[in-house]
Amino acid sequence: MRLLVPLAVLAACAAQAQMLKIPPSFDKLADKAEEVADVTLDANMLGMASKFLSDKDPDDKAAKKVVGGIKGVFVRSYKFAHEGEYSDADVELLRVQLRGPGWSCIVNVRSKKNRENAQVCFYTENGKPAGMAIVATEPKELTIVTIAGAIDPEHLGALEGQFGIPKIDLDSKPKKQEQKDD
Amino acid sequence: MSRLEDELRNALRREEPPEGFAARVLARAAAAPEPRRAGAWTRVTRWFRAPVFARAAMAGALCLAVVLGVHYEQRQELERARGEAAKRQLLLALRVTGSSLRAVHDKVHELSAGYSDAQ
Repeated sequence: MRLLVPLAVLAACAAQAQMLKIPPSFDKLADKAEEVADVTLDANMLGMASKFLSDKDPDDKAAKKVVGGIKGVFVRSYKFAHEGEYSDADVELLRVQLRGPGWSCIVNVRSKKNRENAQVCFYTENGKPAGMAIVATEPKELTIVTIAGAIDPEHLGALEGQFGIPKIDLDSKPKKQEQKDD
Repeated sequence: MSRLEDELRNALRREEPPEGFAARVLARAAAAPEPRRAGAWTRVTRWFRAPVFARAAMAGALCLAVVLGVHYEQRQELERARGEAAKRQLLLALRVTGSSLRAVHDKVHELSAGYSDAQ
């Protein structure tokens, strides 16, 4: 089933929400994918969205707490019918950026057998949390999430139980990279 | 009482006007200036003051108020739709984030369990 989400792109502000520079080849992935989740929300759109979040709904209430500190949300998630629809080299271009200054990857999970790889990284500026990124790859699935703004593990803790986010035991400061390979 | 009657009779007695009175009144009336012709502003505003125009103006004002009200309501509706769309996208983004974190979490636990078993 093809799931297409309309783009809400504001070019200048989208750059801030992105945080990571997305390779140009990713623009064509939506056409190849069977399912696409494509979300770009800048500070203005987040402010507008938060006005319509209800205090009565648990998901809305949890989202409201998170939105308060963040400036932008960028999500690209693609599910493909076949393997090999995206280039590992392009994904590596993203991972290189996550090794740049300011980024600390607290989780890096790689499975050679299943050809899966996932990283959860946090960005800090002047010692304060300024963003988060998730890059997860599977043979038929590619997900990139960047959240710009003051989202830190404690904010994630507030979302426990909502949106499928599991309980994650994280300290306020990112630990050294936890790497698991198989 | 009779004195009062006499006084009233004297006060209300008909008196003949002095000689030439009628001629003098007519002459003065003939010499009086003609009434001023209404100016342009007065002629224009007289039309607006007419009851028909007043009713038309009221109807026009009412129509304008309705149009402005509808326009405002449509803008509010548009803002509401945009806000709801932004909210849906935000919740979608958070769900995708949650799903990704869950996958990472499960993978870490799976590998940790495998590592413990191996030991």
